[in-house]
Amino acid sequence: MRRSFVIGVLLLATARFAPGEESPLQPVADPQPLLQDIQRKMSSLTSVYLEFTQERQLKLFVEPLKSEGVMLIGRPDQIRWETTSPYQSILLGNQKTVAQFERADGEWNKLKLGFPQMLKRVMEQMTLMNQGKLDALTSDFTISVSTNRSLAVLTLVPKDENVRAMLSSLEVKMQPDSSATREVVMNEPGGDLTRIVFRRERRDVKFPPGTFDQTKPLDVAAIKAAVSDVP
Amino acid sequence: MFRKLLLPLLLALVAGCATPPGNMIPQPASSFPADALVTQRGVLTVRGRQFTLNGYLATSATGGQRLIVTENFGNVLADVLVKRDGTVFVIRSGRAFKREWVRRFVAADLQCIFGESPRMDCPGRQLSETHFVIERRRYKLDLQIVETRPGPQPAELFDESRKLTP
Repeated sequence: MRRSFVIGVLLLATARFAPGEESPLQPVADPQPLLQDIQRKMSSLTSVYLEFTQERQLKLFVEPLKSEGVMLIGRPDQIRWETTSPYQSILLGNQKTVAQFERADGEWNKLKLGFPQMLKRVMEQMTLMNQGKLDALTSDFTISVSTNRSLAVLTLVPKDENVRAMLSSLEVKMQPDSSATREVVMNEPGGDLTRIVFRRERRDVKFPPGTFDQTKPLDVAAIKAAVSDVP
Repeated sequence: MFRKLLLPLLLALVAGCATPPGNMIPQPASSFPADALVTQRGVLTVRGRQFTLNGYLATSATGGQRLIVTENFGNVLADVLVKRDGTVFVIRSGRAFKREWVRRFVAADLQCIFGESPRMDCPGRQLSETHFVIERRRYKLDLQIVETRPGPQPAELFDESRKLTP
């Protein structure tokens, strides 16, 4: 579940692809200024809309296993993580409750979650992230930063040995000014990895009513239509 | 009187031989390509609580079937190889899915839906060509096949000599 927690880093994320030269990454001696910069920039956001492609790369398979979806963040504590392809699933959370919906045979079904308290914990941590409070990161991970002209890479290594057995490191690839995350890579000890690439970021959007409804969430098509006019 | 009873009984027996009971998955999904990568989405219900799973199944006409089960964010919960002769090799298991559990249930459910021959221990039903429900005493698995990519899969997937525990 801690692995899920690191998804919280994504709350700091936006997704603007900027072409750039790939010069060698140079380690940054003191990552604190960059982390503080991230906190400062994220604390002013009221909402974020992101579309993502998730690639699960297992060494044994020829091609990555892909899924697509959207992630929505609304202050003060709302989050919606929705997979739209190849299956449909919605995860909703706030500081008090979490909910998950699965679509089967054309209908959404609300699940009776197995570990709601764990998901709730993840959501709480995500909320902290969204408020720009990165203390949780430094307590759980050893963080290093490397940069070049087009990229800043935060590498997070779990301090907990048990977590490291599942997740050897997490790479957050950001724009050099730390204003936007391009992708997140979760590396596993055996060489497998999961890469989440972001695109179509919208900031400070006004989500329509029902976006975070944990009883009957609004259809994602309506949300996309509502945010489509936002630059 | 005896003959009147015997005839329906024989008919029922014949019918029983021809088709499995109504609460059994009728037969494996033979409509899937022999060589393919099949993506599945499952909801596992245990003691009234539900967990979502992703399944990635590589099938080979000669090598067998290799299934990798992950949770939402990609953690591998189970990895199992079923050879064409039915031999089961548990490659990876974890705290959520223990090795014996993978062998007894994950491999069995795999064969219920994708095996080559009908089994008698497949309690459940087929709701559509791509939607199955397996109901055992301790759990219920609602499984949908969401993507099928035909084509040969890497031979290593079906090589039991690679750090496997038979």
